[in-house]
Amino acid sequence: MLLALVAAGASLRACADEPTAQVRAITDKVLALLADPALKTEARNSERRQLIREELDRRIDWATAARSSLGRHWAKRTRAEQTEFVSLFSRLIEENFIDKFETHHGELDKVEYLGEKIIDEYASVKARISTKDQIDHPVEYRLQKSGKDWRIYDVLLEGVSLVKNYRDQFDEILAKSPYEKLVADLRAKIPQGSP
Amino acid sequence: MKKAYLEFVVGLFLAIGIGCLAWLSIKLARKEFFARNGYEVQVAFSNGSGLHRGTSVVIAGVEIGRVAGLGLEDYEAKVRLMIQQGVVLQTDTIASIKTQGLIGEKYIELTPGASDKTIKPGGVIRETQPAMDLEALIGKYIQGNLAKPDDKGQPPR
Repeated sequence: MLLALVAAGASLRACADEPTAQVRAITDKVLALLADPALKTEARNSERRQLIREELDRRIDWATAARSSLGRHWAKRTRAEQTEFVSLFSRLIEENFIDKFETHHGELDKVEYLGEKIIDEYASVKARISTKDQIDHPVEYRLQKSGKDWRIYDVLLEGVSLVKNYRDQFDEILAKSPYEKLVADLRAKIPQGSP
Repeated sequence: MKKAYLEFVVGLFLAIGIGCLAWLSIKLARKEFFARNGYEVQVAFSNGSGLHRGTSVVIAGVEIGRVAGLGLEDYEAKVRLMIQQGVVLQTDTIASIKTQGLIGEKYIELTPGASDKTIKPGGVIRETQPAMDLEALIGKYIQGNLAKPDDKGQPPR
């Protein structure tokens, strides 16, 4: 299932008004970076991670994803705290994604795009990720229009939303502990040395 | 005179009995005699199995509405929710289908979002999470390829 995360993601030949094209583009770009033999060496590992990070930043709306994940607690934070939270959240998810990309991309067989639905400035793109073991994993990308582009703010793997998952967890933590504890926990989860 | 009194008492008990049965039927069927104060919103699930008219809609375990009706539209379950007046839903509220226990009744849980905009009466809850298809998940697990859970990056519980 984690392999499905490989497909999260941005691009050069994306058509500005087609959410599927944009999802396809980021997927292809990230997979190409992972498969590039020149970047596979130990010495260039951090460079490869940085390139993937840049692709994700280009196509993922971290501000919306972080705000929505913090849910009702967002409005209680100051502007500075909100900015810090978006940064911590994006770094956490990126590091998590990239680790999983690196571990599982070899198992990927194909990604099929099943259709898209656009309502006003929101869109969803359904896809199916198949592994070499012939097992299919449904994925749904949720996108929001930002200027001319569509940017991803949530990914559902096997019907489980990333934003909902984190919203529930943040809710649970903040019911028992102060916000500062949540920030400290997030910081502790981010590997040292990541930008 | 005495006979008339007896008949009156029997009739009264009968009427009370019928009244009780009617009340029980209404409660069990979760029908509302009079429309509650509230507003309607719509939500579409890719899988709405287990939902029916009268299914509870909750926030933090507190019932704040009921399913007013559902139908099929574009091969999705289009569900109408009657939400209590006074309950404000943000546009990024997430609606998910949950089960009470492992095999219990289904209900719809709403998790409040952070958006400044709110859903107006007649509006749509955009963010949804469908009912978990346990059989499909177990099927994949049995086939032995469901990736090992990795909680790296998940905040501690």
